[in-house]
Amino acid sequence: MASVTSEPIDTITEVPGKRTPLVTGAHDYGTITDAVCRLAESKASKTWYLALGFSACLMGMLFGLIGYLIITGVGVWGNRSPVFWGWPIVNFVFWVGIGHAGTLISAILFLFRQDWRTGINRAAEAMTIFAVVCAGVFPGIHIGRVWLAYWLFPIPNQMSMWPNFRSPLLWDVFAVSTYATVSLLFWYMGMIPDLATLRDRATGKIQQFAYGLFSLGWNGSSRHWHRYERAYLLLAALAAPLVLSVHTIVSFDFAVSQLPGWHTTIFPPYFVAGAVFSGFAMVLTLMIPARKICGIEDLLTKRHLENMTKVIIATGTMVGYAYAMEFFIAWYGGNRYETFAFINRAFGPYAWAYWIMVSCNVISPQLFWIKKIRTTPWMIFIVCIFVNIGMWFERFVITVTSLSRDFLPSSWGYFKPTIVDVLMLIGSFGLFMTLFLLFCKFLPMVAMAEVKSVMPRPGGHGDH
Amino acid sequence: MATTIEQPVKTKAEPELLGLLAEFDDPNALIEASKKVRDAGYRNWDTHTPFPLHGIDEAMGIKWTILPWIVACCGLMGGTVAISMQWYMNAYDYPFLISGKPAFSIPACIPIVFELSVLLAAFGAFFGMLGLNQLPKLYNPIFKSDAFRRATNDRFFISMVAKDAKFSEIDTGEFLKSLNPTNVEEFWSDVESPKLPRNLKLGLSIVGVLMIMGPALIAYVRSTKSNKPRIHIIQDMDFQPSLKAQNTTSVFSDGREIRPNIKGTIARGQFKDDNIPLYYGLKYLPEDQNVVPIAVQDEKKKDAKQAVEKQADAAKTPVAKPAATDAAAAEAKRLDSLPWITEFPMPVTEKMMARGKERYRIYCSACHGLGGDGDGLVTLRAMELQQGTWVKPASYHTENVRKLPIGRLYNTITNGVRKMPAYGSQIPPEDRWTIVLYLKALQKSRLIDAKTISEEEKRKLRDTK
Repeated sequence: MASVTSEPIDTITEVPGKRTPLVTGAHDYGTITDAVCRLAESKASKTWYLALGFSACLMGMLFGLIGYLIITGVGVWGNRSPVFWGWPIVNFVFWVGIGHAGTLISAILFLFRQDWRTGINRAAEAMTIFAVVCAGVFPGIHIGRVWLAYWLFPIPNQMSMWPNFRSPLLWDVFAVSTYATVSLLFWYMGMIPDLATLRDRATGKIQQFAYGLFSLGWNGSSRHWHRYERAYLLLAALAAPLVLSVHTIVSFDFAVSQLPGWHTTIFPPYFVAGAVFSGFAMVLTLMIPARKICGIEDLLTKRHLENMTKVIIATGTMVGYAYAMEFFIAWYGGNRYETFAFINRAFGPYAWAYWIMVSCNVISPQLFWIKKIRTTPWMIFIVCIFVNIGMWFERFVITVTSLSRDFLPSSWGYFKPTIVDVLMLIGSFGLFMTLFLLFCKFLPMVAMAEVKSVMPRPGGHGDH
Repeated sequence: MATTIEQPVKTKAEPELLGLLAEFDDPNALIEASKKVRDAGYRNWDTHTPFPLHGIDEAMGIKWTILPWIVACCGLMGGTVAISMQWYMNAYDYPFLISGKPAFSIPACIPIVFELSVLLAAFGAFFGMLGLNQLPKLYNPIFKSDAFRRATNDRFFISMVAKDAKFSEIDTGEFLKSLNPTNVEEFWSDVESPKLPRNLKLGLSIVGVLMIMGPALIAYVRSTKSNKPRIHIIQDMDFQPSLKAQNTTSVFSDGREIRPNIKGTIARGQFKDDNIPLYYGLKYLPEDQNVVPIAVQDEKKKDAKQAVEKQADAAKTPVAKPAATDAAAAEAKRLDSLPWITEFPMPVTEKMMARGKERYRIYCSACHGLGGDGDGLVTLRAMELQQGTWVKPASYHTENVRKLPIGRLYNTITNGVRKMPAYGSQIPPEDRWTIVLYLKALQKSRLIDAKTISEEEKRKLRDTK
């Protein structure tokens, strides 16, 4: 049968001239299916129920607070003049950034023929979508009168008015909603063959109906696969520039305004690098426990983790370079307001936040130069937690320090979040985790068809 | 092309052979077998694999899909829609100026053009793929084969469709067996048409009706007229809890929403009541006649104020229409009876006279004429038109007008008379008095004996323009 090897292999060390297998352990096509489908088919564990219950409580808290916010008004947040963007926008940028890793892994690594992506792409894409859901919540409620949210879209209304297409905030509406839609299509399309697998193995009536409905009658026809692969390639080619455009446009929200500290041309590449950085850190934060709990360590090997840490070093260093370059330009540009904004950022009242950001984002990923840390899951996990914290603070530093010292010194202030701000951020993690846990339980967590296609064929016919 | 298995014809009672399935457990064997099937000349057949098998396209002779063209068209359409939408909305239908930026410029359009191109192209890729594959297709007789369930797991299948011209049950079966599959089986059509789950139709129609209700209601309301105020689903600031005049409330002990002035306050615009001669041209009267100066303190103040207001209102009462002569006469009589002042309420100066002359020429002379004879340009023109609606302004130089007390003249400027409109809102009180002064000077100028004027004065007057 199509077994790869019967001995555990060390995929971490490179053997020159030999391709490292992507799947470890004694696996053939059937056991891959078993390993992935087992999660959806077996009864959920106690741990899963506990985790879901906890996350759902946090999610309920988020929705409760949103209700409180809508009934009471945005005054429940700490947003006061001159900091009107505050935590909701910090959270939005944070979550959108996290939502970049999935599609980047799926699309850009696919175009570069990085086959190791097959182990992680499904979960990473799911994470992307859930992060974008969390991100979408915040600007949605930040507009104040949520029942007028449709004003964001060019829909004919009784005032005969259209939105202003020269505003980056409107570009953002289009960018984020397009990104959410395309990511969803990409994720769902990738899942159709795997849903068909679940359909064909399902025994319960409900499972048969649900998986049958969503697998759209997929029967594995080669003529279908031909068009499917074309469509997948095209979607990847479309999604790759889309990923780069989304955080570019999010950065325009800041960069197109004239506020010192925001008005810089480095923002688009810097935001994209930061987004990939935070996204990969979040993928690792989720995957390290998930691969253990779900027992898919053979498909999601240490080598996968190591590859991702390398992306983190690269993007973390880019982010560090951007921090340094901002200071250089502030000095070299000779604009004293800009200079003030940056000196204030590092040594002003928010210096504590700035140095948390620098130590988490620039210093901590450098630990990944050490191979031992790169290949030890719990160590990666700790570094990634720091990166997540650092990236949240990066958005906080950019948003709040610049706004709190705006053009009018008489209106300067010190931003203080309220308890609602803090609980909403925690609640958004509840929403994220709830969705992710439901995904782990009911959907194929690893792209089975893709993993099978990169496995060596029985009989040693080619690499894949 | 797509899947080659057709839906069963539901009227036939006998099951019909739809095709044959050959099962393989090795992808390489499937590729080899596919080449043979292709070479044997079959056209209506397919292979089924759990993952995209490289090399199967050539082995089966699958032609390239047109999907990329669909995607390209959708992408171009997205870009076109985006750019024309932005032009229409921001430059044509509702152009508005933002920070002096042009209403339409290509660079500002690029982000949205890019996003919509990608969005529509992605829709093209996804829905184009489904459409070309004829999916979703939830019923497929091939799924009845239990062995075929592994087509999405770890087995590889060839399906031969009975509709193919070369197909015959025995020959094709033999041919398939010669390809060394692990198993060959037949698949048949259903005897009975597959039944939908019970209550599905009912459930779907209920959901459908519920889904239509909202939009239908909105469409109905938008296309009909109503004289009722619109429904305020979200009240925003449409209704405020503030108290309004004329309403009752339980908040205050007297039950009135409107609150009386607090002691010692003067309402805006009421300050003039402390100088009745200046503002109304009326005299202070003794207290017992119920017209008291504002100086009276405290509780009396209110009464005094009311009295003053009454007095002021009396002067303001609108002039009756010229047609109603009786009413006009009554009005004139009422005005005659009021205690008009006869002395200016401020010291008369040279400066005041100059100001009066200037103000008179600005406001009055157009109708009354520069000399006050009622021969202003507007009057002359109106008389020329002979429309019958113009009431010629009275000359200042008649005995009646000369006799009027200056308070009465002041009142006429303030509130108007007959057809003359009120100028109180346009000319401040001090200026009105200067006009009155100039008017008196005009009247006097007609009566004075030229001999009483010194030569020097005469010369001065001649030089003045």
